[in-house]
Amino acid sequence: MKVELDGVRPWRHDLAGCLHACVGTLVDHAGFPPLEVLGSFWGFYYRPGDIRPEEYYFPCPDGRSLVASLAPHHPVGSRWWWPEDAEQGWQQVREQVAAGVPVAVAVDNFELPFRPAYRDVHSNHLVVVRGFDDERQTVSVLDAIPPFFSGELPLAVLTAARDSANRPAHARDMFFADDPIGNRWLQLLVEDGPGGRQPAGADPAGYLAGNLREFQAGSEPGCYRGRDGIARFLADMCDRLAAGYGITDELFVVAGVALAGAAVHADWVAETGRRQQLPGWPELARQISRTAYHWTAIRILAALSRTGDVPATRLRARRAALLAELDRTLAAVEVVLATTEPSGHPNHRRALAEENSHG
Amino acid sequence: MTDRLTDRPTDRLTGLGRPLDLRGHFDNRGLTPTSDLAAGAFNVWSNTFPAEQLPPEGSIVEIGGVLFEFPAGSERGDNLRCGGQLIELPPGRYDWLYLLAAAERRTEDLLYLHYTDGSVDPEWLRVSDFWPQTPDRFGALAAFRCSTLHYPRHVQHGVDPVIWRHRVPVPRHAELAALRLPDNPAAHIFAITPVPADDASLCCVEEVRR
Repeated sequence: MKVELDGVRPWRHDLAGCLHACVGTLVDHAGFPPLEVLGSFWGFYYRPGDIRPEEYYFPCPDGRSLVASLAPHHPVGSRWWWPEDAEQGWQQVREQVAAGVPVAVAVDNFELPFRPAYRDVHSNHLVVVRGFDDERQTVSVLDAIPPFFSGELPLAVLTAARDSANRPAHARDMFFADDPIGNRWLQLLVEDGPGGRQPAGADPAGYLAGNLREFQAGSEPGCYRGRDGIARFLADMCDRLAAGYGITDELFVVAGVALAGAAVHADWVAETGRRQQLPGWPELARQISRTAYHWTAIRILAALSRTGDVPATRLRARRAALLAELDRTLAAVEVVLATTEPSGHPNHRRALAEENSHG
Repeated sequence: MTDRLTDRPTDRLTGLGRPLDLRGHFDNRGLTPTSDLAAGAFNVWSNTFPAEQLPPEGSIVEIGGVLFEFPAGSERGDNLRCGGQLIELPPGRYDWLYLLAAAERRTEDLLYLHYTDGSVDPEWLRVSDFWPQTPDRFGALAAFRCSTLHYPRHVQHGVDPVIWRHRVPVPRHAELAALRLPDNPAAHIFAITPVPADDASLCCVEEVRR
């Protein structure tokens, strides 16, 4: 049997990683606009110690799946599958693809010839599988992260990457190594029916209002959530750094998640404002992107802290700047919401109809 | 530390500005020859730009009509990570500060312009991502686009890391003395060239003063 699925297109955001890329491709194939699904939500959530060495790490509130946590404004979710062995892992993926559904599979970059890390660095990465050829024993893989790859691999190569122990061997095996890949794979779940799918851009102001509530919510015990959560998370990181504890991995990975979230959201706000001609949205998008750039700085401060080159005072100063920027941004969201017509307004409905008619 | 203009000859090249000598500020090595791939670590993953594809160290190059000193390698490196450094300039009236720069993921931050009369203004420094296949989002010019990226153990072909040309405005009609860089180590700077105020700008100032 040979399968090559149609409509499996690459999607990538330059400040996000393989999680956004793969989920973007999967939701696109399922009929959702990727930027809206991935960018309409913006928030912050993290449970201390939850960090895992995965390029696709994303902190999920209790009971919520990875994709549901990433895109809570849309009727999508996901399920991680943990096969017993490589053979079962391939049969499960093959079955999905044969049924017309692409899936995301975890891989160790060390084993993939198209990754720069091939035979060099172990890293727990995510790619899309969209086809196979039983006779030739090949699989069709899509990886939108540079260097872009879209093509066939021997099944044995993909199997080695999926079954890797991902054990670190040298100093550059950092952040995303030392976590067996275990043939895990990610299935996108779509909730159809009443209350399920909505047209693109159905309720942009509602999404912003929901995000604002999320940022204003207090953290539950044992987690960092919203604006207060960012303040406490970074304060704790500063205190730990000052006390001589290592914070590199946790701060680097969490900052990467926060960077991607803010940056993709900024682009969705910009795109929505432009397409629906919403006053104030382009400027709000630019303001949101500024919060993202603070996370860019924090991410590298975190990495450099491994060698003791970053005193806590530098991180504290960046924390203060980020929180000030975030407060300005949240105030700007309130202003924009006060001046944006609700989604039921005739002008909004007309703009939405025109937008959807133009595809 | 007193910064100075480059002492390398620029008279045979046409272009604006007089490049600064930043060697005293360099703290990162971002360029390596293929014979010594592990000698640098531009980013967290120890990637570097291929030196063979870039101008000779210490040469004067023209990028989009502006002269730059392509960094002369030293034991301290060939670029600086922004870490709050104060870069002194020959006091003068400038319209723009042009930079050769690249970031570990695009970023923007405030730098501070220090004028000889004691006034200080913030201005935005924006630096695009050096990472291959990642387009500029700030309206920069691609000063150098390479065709390989160096890893400590191999040369990666088919990827195109970029050093960008950015610029920062100097809006105040006053003598600029120095700039304070932001503390944002994601942003790397290879070269800075202040470009003097043009005739129109200076004439305008004289008109107002009369």
